[in-house]
Amino acid sequence: MRRSSAVGSAVALTAAVTLVLAGCTQRSNQDVPAGADGAATTAAEYPETPDQPRVPGRPGGTFRLGIVEPTAIDPYNAQESEGILVTKALFTGLVNVRPNGEIYDGVASAWTPNADCSQWTFTLKPGTTFSNGEPVDSAAFKRGWERTAARDSGSAVSYHLNEVAGFDQMQDGSAAALSGVDAADPNTLRVALSAPDCEFALRTAAPPLSPVPTVAGPAGNTAYNDLPIGNGPFTMDGPWRHDTGIRLVRNDTYGAGPKANLDAVELTITPPDTGALTEYNGFNNGQFDWARMPVPVQAQARAANEPKNQWISKKTAGINYLQVQVQQPPLNSVAARKAISMAIDRNAIAQGVFQGSQVPATAFLPASFTGAFQDGVCDACRFDPVKAKELAAQAGLTAGTRVAFQFNSGSNHDEWTAAVKQQLERNLGIAVDLTGVPFRDLLTNQRQPTATGLFRAGWSADYPTPSNFLASLLTTKAIGAATPDDVANGDNRGRYSNPVFDELVARAVATPDVAARNDLYKQAEKIAIGDDLGVIPLVARQQFRLVNTTTFGNVNMDFWENPTLPEITLR
Amino acid sequence: MTTPMPGAGSPLEDANTAGALMLPGSDVTTPDAAVPVGRRGSGGFADVWRRYRRNRLAVVGLVIVVGLVVVAVLEPVITPYDPAEQNLAKIALPPSADHWFGTDVLGRDLYSGIIYGTRLAVVVGVSTVLCSLLIGVTLGALAGFRGGAWDAVIGRVIDVFLAFPLLLGAILIVGVVGGGISAVVVALVALGWMTTARLARGQVLALREAEYVEAARSIGAGNGRIVVRHILPNAIAPVLVYAFTNIGVVVVAMASLSYLGVGVPPDVPEWGRLINQAAPYLQVPGKTHLWLAPAGAIVLTTLGFAFVADGLRDALDPRLRGG
Amino acid sequence: MLRFVLRRSAQAVLVVVAATFLIFLATFALGDPFASTGEKVVPPAIAAANRAKFGLDQPLVVQFGTYLANTARLDFGIDFDQGRPVSQMLAETVPNTVRLALVAIVIDVLIGVTAGVIAAVRRYSVWDVVVTVLSTVGIGVPTFVIGIVLVVNVAGWGPFPAVPRGFAVEVPWYQEVLLPALTLAAVDAAFVARLMRGSLLEVLRADYVRTARAKGLPERTVIGRHALRNALIPVVTYAGVSLGVLFGGAIITETIFQYNGVGYLLSRAIVNSNAPVVIAVVVFSVVAYVFLSLLVDILYAVLDPRIRLS
Repeated sequence: MRRSSAVGSAVALTAAVTLVLAGCTQRSNQDVPAGADGAATTAAEYPETPDQPRVPGRPGGTFRLGIVEPTAIDPYNAQESEGILVTKALFTGLVNVRPNGEIYDGVASAWTPNADCSQWTFTLKPGTTFSNGEPVDSAAFKRGWERTAARDSGSAVSYHLNEVAGFDQMQDGSAAALSGVDAADPNTLRVALSAPDCEFALRTAAPPLSPVPTVAGPAGNTAYNDLPIGNGPFTMDGPWRHDTGIRLVRNDTYGAGPKANLDAVELTITPPDTGALTEYNGFNNGQFDWARMPVPVQAQARAANEPKNQWISKKTAGINYLQVQVQQPPLNSVAARKAISMAIDRNAIAQGVFQGSQVPATAFLPASFTGAFQDGVCDACRFDPVKAKELAAQAGLTAGTRVAFQFNSGSNHDEWTAAVKQQLERNLGIAVDLTGVPFRDLLTNQRQPTATGLFRAGWSADYPTPSNFLASLLTTKAIGAATPDDVANGDNRGRYSNPVFDELVARAVATPDVAARNDLYKQAEKIAIGDDLGVIPLVARQQFRLVNTTTFGNVNMDFWENPTLPEITLR
Repeated sequence: MTTPMPGAGSPLEDANTAGALMLPGSDVTTPDAAVPVGRRGSGGFADVWRRYRRNRLAVVGLVIVVGLVVVAVLEPVITPYDPAEQNLAKIALPPSADHWFGTDVLGRDLYSGIIYGTRLAVVVGVSTVLCSLLIGVTLGALAGFRGGAWDAVIGRVIDVFLAFPLLLGAILIVGVVGGGISAVVVALVALGWMTTARLARGQVLALREAEYVEAARSIGAGNGRIVVRHILPNAIAPVLVYAFTNIGVVVVAMASLSYLGVGVPPDVPEWGRLINQAAPYLQVPGKTHLWLAPAGAIVLTTLGFAFVADGLRDALDPRLRGG
Repeated sequence: MLRFVLRRSAQAVLVVVAATFLIFLATFALGDPFASTGEKVVPPAIAAANRAKFGLDQPLVVQFGTYLANTARLDFGIDFDQGRPVSQMLAETVPNTVRLALVAIVIDVLIGVTAGVIAAVRRYSVWDVVVTVLSTVGIGVPTFVIGIVLVVNVAGWGPFPAVPRGFAVEVPWYQEVLLPALTLAAVDAAFVARLMRGSLLEVLRADYVRTARAKGLPERTVIGRHALRNALIPVVTYAGVSLGVLFGGAIITETIFQYNGVGYLLSRAIVNSNAPVVIAVVVFSVVAYVFLSLLVDILYAVLDPRIRLS
């Protein structure tokens, strides 16, 4: 029949083709392509790159990079690496930190504790000033610390000062000054601690312990929030243009160390959900001199740039983990948490999503703490779906239980969190509600007393000591909430709490002898991670960057995973 | 009828209609002429089909559309892999014997994903357009037949909905309804019924006074019967033409929404979503398949439905073919 | 004429108010839009300021009135992220979008009309085929695909500024607007070409054209003076509607090119759950579209006297 010619033949053809295909049932997609070791127990690692050879500095050049909008650049609240990048360029604290964790002098030329580490004396270099001419003396430090510690400061990182005597009184509003800080002598800062800490000097490198000038006013001074005036190697060139950019210029009156070489630094603010991709594209089209890259193109980026010496790969003192809300169901039992942990195939994620460039974690403390690291202390960090199911049943984590899982968008976490979700659903039968939110909202959500489930978390050391991991993230004090119904202001937002652990950490911190101290840290980690699994370690943190070494020399990654701006120079 | 319809208000309404038709015909495209007037007895299905077949592009379009529907229906059977099954060891592989279109950024078979996307596109496209048709024809016929206050009110309602740009309005509605594919359908229906209503109204207005309607009335047929049995079948022609174009529009709209990350969840291999996920690879050589396959599918679908609409329009109105 | 303008203007205002009410209903009536929506938790100070400004403790009708009054004063509240007045953010981005829309329209009308005229006049020739094929394919390609292809291959080359680029790089507006305008114009030009071609073909068959030809007038005059003017009417109409749509912000194109217009502002606000900005941009788009439609209506009435009298 003529009428059916065209349509008829169309139907017939399509049907024929599809019927042929229909003969094949669906194949499994789980095979591993030839050449990959499917059962590898060790991940193929990305070796670290050596530091760039030092070249003599000369003034000049504008260094450009992209960052997502920071939470704050004012030292009272600078918290993530983007905010810290700006704050450390604008301010210099008592001490500085080298990329490997060694501290050296900043504004302080010497620092000594007393016998039991309950008092510290810092000798300041005389005659250094803020960029507006005000003197940087002990009063300036006292001012900065009190500004951060004030109850109404709204600082999310004031806990760095929690060892200073008088901190609790400032936090509850009964005092307006830190009683433990003595700034009577302008060139000497005396600090009394409420609990002994033999590593206190390390803390003073953290941004919240920066000095501030009198013009800073209280923490809520928005003019200063957007245009901080500091004593660092760079100053702001105009205020923070939100969602657009931040421009820094060299501070030619810098006195606490050698002057910077760069004329200017331009930080372009990238869209919140495509930060890494924008940086990568910007590097490739010559607009940025330093860039992250999306995980999927890591191998590509390395292959294209490592031969040209434009690739940085560094194991950092950090860990990527899952924060667990341990006070709320369904994960408020050890069995539930260990079930989750053992249902995750870290190796597959490391091999697959990260293409071998991240190493599965076997402990919470990073391996860089050679004295305190215990490989394997996290016994639930191995992949054992059978045991996981057992533990899940034990914990009442039945099929269909909904578990929330949030992560911060725009920072490469989409793929691996999707993989974790799939593993948990497949291996435990639970239902995982996965959502990506902007970083600032992630923090806010975690703080709420009603938060439940899992949150993607990463932690890089603020200062090079295990206590920065154990004390800051796992002690009861670090929750920062007076009652369980309060918002958690500290970094222990999962609200893990174990008095035995707290006591061990406190003793460790007060131990002058390094070996003894490390032993106590080890015992503490065994409890928090080995026994209780208060948080779930995932992969050891390793960072990669693309760097324009053709134009610039001395570009390295500093302790906070940022470019070493004060040293960078035009070639 | 080439003069503005009495009481139609601005002829811009008709022009909007034609503009929104987005498919100026191959031969004639003036707004009024784009509204074919079906005359009783101007040809049954056989005549229409004969005229349709003569237009080669229209036949190509029909083949494409039929192919899409067949693929959509047979999706569970013809996909060699589960479209949602990830394998992180096989990310973004180029096309090979195992994977005809290669794999996507999560290691899923891209060919299966495209086929699944076809099913999504057809289902969402057809259901959205059907709902829009229902709402639009009902309201338009009401406005045209009853006139007066009905017409005025419905006309203003149409104006209000037309004022919302498609993507913006869809994003807002999806946000309010909550995400997911059904939210997308709701949004696209809510923003897509207006032109159908205007077309239906125009047709009903034109035909209301036609002789055979008077004839029907004279033998005692009631209003409802008149509308349903006499007016609607003839009025349906331009509405049908527009509906086919609209399916293509809906598919592109849904792809655009998923490209922006709105609506379809991230682990569903919808065409727009696949292009969105291919973003990091756009500059990488050898990974073109990641976005080319879904983009090609979108283009093919849109063109297929557009050709069919084109051909239908020409076939349904013999008066316009000529020159 | 005046009565026509007044009537249409009144209708336009009614439409805007009704649309604003719908937007209002959708966001406000579903609960406090300035509070946490589970994922997004707003700083309490900003939430309180916004609530007070919009009187969210009042009955719904009063709330709508306040909202209308605020909107009429171009006060759209404070945005969630930075605490800046939303009207300021609009003031920065609207001129960019307007510029983009105008450039896009100019390009696509020029290209479309030229192509359509050539195809109609040289019917069945190579040109006709080329234009028909290109314009046919053109209507099927989604804008964002064109945008992606352009941003990957063309941006950064020649006069086209790089995407992404450092914020401190000074780019004159006429360069910045080029690629996004081309992206928007590409699909629209296809429509315009087809519209123009069909319209001109139809007009060329009309009696008065035959008369003109019979009178011996040269073809160029026939087409240029008589046919073209009438054939352009639907094109002008379409362009006007298109412009109104573009004024609302081409969200995808602006996002792809990171072009600082209202569309880009909206897409970032959506990611950040920044409700005041989202509402403000949608209201702006509605007003822009309705206003443009009104202008085109009036223009049409000027051109065609039959309309005014109906």
